[in-house]
Amino acid sequence: MMIMSTADSTFFTLNEVASAIWQAADGHTPLSEIIAGKICQEFDVNQDQAQRDAEHFVDELARHGILLVSDIPLTEFCPTLVRR
Amino acid sequence: MTTATPMAATEAVSIEIGGMTIALRTRDSSFRRLIENRYAGFVGNSLESNFEFDIDLLEPSEFSAVDHGLEVKIEAGEWLLKRGDFYARWNPNTSHGHVRQYCSPYAIDCVLRIVHSLILARQGGFLVHAASAIRDGKAFLFSGVSGAGKTTISRLAPPDATLLTDEISYVRREGNCYIACGTPFAGELARVGENQSAPLSALFLLEQGLENRIEPIGATDAVQRLLRNILFFADDPALVELVFQAACEFASLVPIHRLIFIPDHRVWDIIR
Repeated sequence: MMIMSTADSTFFTLNEVASAIWQAADGHTPLSEIIAGKICQEFDVNQDQAQRDAEHFVDELARHGILLVSDIPLTEFCPTLVRR
Repeated sequence: MTTATPMAATEAVSIEIGGMTIALRTRDSSFRRLIENRYAGFVGNSLESNFEFDIDLLEPSEFSAVDHGLEVKIEAGEWLLKRGDFYARWNPNTSHGHVRQYCSPYAIDCVLRIVHSLILARQGGFLVHAASAIRDGKAFLFSGVSGAGKTTISRLAPPDATLLTDEISYVRREGNCYIACGTPFAGELARVGENQSAPLSALFLLEQGLENRIEPIGATDAVQRLLRNILFFADDPALVELVFQAACEFASLVPIHRLIFIPDHRVWDIIR
């Protein structure tokens, strides 16, 4: 999967794990829950390492304005927001 | 190749990428200078262009605050390109287009990438999310998922290598040969590529590891991984099929390997 920042036209080519995180980001589900409930179930990864990699990944996307990172859930579905 | 009407040099900036000249015409002199600076090295001297676009600059308030994402579709022979920060129309038959956008380099950058991807699709070429460089007269592409090392391999390039881009490579087909061309589309290095070209010798799919080595890759896997990195924006089944064919033919004519590497300069010793 490839995604593009509409802010600065930067491209990201995502691997399977990053694609799964991107698709699971709904503005409600915390990142830790995405990792434990989805990533660790579907991929052969260590949970702590996956959590660290995922936090680096979402921070990188947030830096380019592609993804919002928030401590509180949105009231509506938001495909470009992930909760800490 | 289509040739548009000659234009007044004082009003337009000609941007030459991959041997294709697109003239950008704007009444705003500061925006014209911004374009000239951003695409330095790719600004052509020719008064003739293959395509030309008139650009109208709008205030942000004149666009929707909601980001609807990118939309590229054809209607009655005219391409419509739309994103939150621009709206463009382009008729390939008349060679003319019109862009309404923010005063931002990113909008026109995106329009240029889309237009080139559409032109290349009909010629058996493509834009690909990859770094590329020329060494000893041979061009090499370096692709992979984000974080695999496109920027790193570009940064490690030896002095005798010419960096074509660290972000988006331009692949043109000429008979049974593919040519890699420099692009001004920069990535994290924030360095515009050199406006040069050379026959493509190999595509390397990057993976960082504990040693430097090159491994073969199966044809199906190679095509899948190439397709994952090809930039194509249009909602157009016929063109998507052409891009798919282009990827298959590229994989049959150009060697594709996995390049596992340690991020230091020695990796370039095995790139031949």
